[in-house]
Amino acid sequence: MNCGKYQAQFNDYLDGDLSPSERETLQYHLKECLPCYRKWGSLQKTHEILHQLPPLDPPEHLSAVVMARLKDSRFRQRFWYPANLPRWLPMGVGAAVLLLISAALWQVMPSQYPWQSLFPSSRKNVATSPGFSEKPHESLTIRKRDFDSSAPVIVLRVKDFSRADQQLQSMLRSFARLPLPGRQSPRSPHARSARLFQLQVTGQRLPHLLRELHKIGHLDQGQVESQKLANPGQQGQVSIRIVVVSNGSDVEIRQLLREGK
Amino acid sequence: MGTESLAQQSSTVKRQEEQLLVDRCQRGDREAFAQLMRLHEKQIYNFTYRMLGNEGEAEDLTQDIFIAAFRGIRSFRGEAKFSTWLYRIALNQARNRIKYLSRRNFFARQARRADYGAKMVSESPEGLADSAPTPEQWTITKDLAAQVQECLNQIPHQARQILVLRDVQGFSYDELSEMLSLKPGTVKSRLHRARAALRECLAGKLE
Repeated sequence: MNCGKYQAQFNDYLDGDLSPSERETLQYHLKECLPCYRKWGSLQKTHEILHQLPPLDPPEHLSAVVMARLKDSRFRQRFWYPANLPRWLPMGVGAAVLLLISAALWQVMPSQYPWQSLFPSSRKNVATSPGFSEKPHESLTIRKRDFDSSAPVIVLRVKDFSRADQQLQSMLRSFARLPLPGRQSPRSPHARSARLFQLQVTGQRLPHLLRELHKIGHLDQGQVESQKLANPGQQGQVSIRIVVVSNGSDVEIRQLLREGK
Repeated sequence: MGTESLAQQSSTVKRQEEQLLVDRCQRGDREAFAQLMRLHEKQIYNFTYRMLGNEGEAEDLTQDIFIAAFRGIRSFRGEAKFSTWLYRIALNQARNRIKYLSRRNFFARQARRADYGAKMVSESPEGLADSAPTPEQWTITKDLAAQVQECLNQIPHQARQILVLRDVQGFSYDELSEMLSLKPGTVKSRLHRARAALRECLAGKLE
């Protein structure tokens, strides 16, 4: 006897989904097999009990309470909102607008991190020279679009990069008294040993700047484009790029300059 | 044949009337919603009671279901029956409420209270007479109904909802598969497992 096969038919039998021949075969089996008959009996009883469970009457005040709750403004329908639009749409649009605003602020704000211009005291990672009064809008970082890729390049080779980097930042701040851009590319594998600065300086102060640079490190004369430096701009200003690099190869310099374009 | 077509006609008329109420409701008519609610509150209340096994909780859940239905009525496009749409809301709300109550050990406390109640009934003379129904009669006594409810509370909520919808409320497999977004075959196999689980639980209690 294949009891499993018959027991698998019990539910279809309960639902009246068996064909007449299947029903007859099952009924015959139930007469012959006591364990199956018992199992069928208890399943049938359970089914009948569920069918006969008395329906309950809801409390009389139920609809009155619901209608009262609906009068509460929190549960009012939003008739101004089209029903065929998904409910998350306003929230999604809001989030997108916030993102756009954040991205715009990121571009516009002059600091390394946008919040630094809001909370100037949090700028702890920026080296400052003694006596230099730091202004919140000044920054050592420039954005990619601010780089002048045609500006002449001065390469400053140093032994101790981090020390020279700090010295240079202080010196350039006090020298130029302008927002001083510096770029240490996050993508560069040599980001800890090379940095690109760009600043504008008058033609008169240029020799002084070069002297100061000499004090910090070794100026790579091959890279100093003196031809360009000799021709200041319309207002006597010349834009220059300074790459400070420690024992750097030309690959690092090229990479920094490329990223700065 | 004549009776069947009459029944069909009356169900079509009922559905059309219901659709009119829904249309009015979608335009913000609260009176129409009150009428819709009166049509369905008993079914929904019974469903929530069988799902939670407690009258107070069932009442709260029924209120929440109708409020959710009112808020979302504009999304009802009439593709399914209104009752199917309403039950979908009821199933979601019930699932969330069961999760919430389970986290607070509500069902365990309910079971302890039921055990204590059963003990008190069996010790009283009236209880003795009441708790011994003859298998032939199978009229549902209060005690038996409570035991069935206890077993319903013990089985997983997915099994409970399918048993209540099919065996207590009498929905068809097609309606169930639409409400639960499942294939009819899946509904069937889940129902079979649910029936077996309830049978085992009840057999232990009734023996």
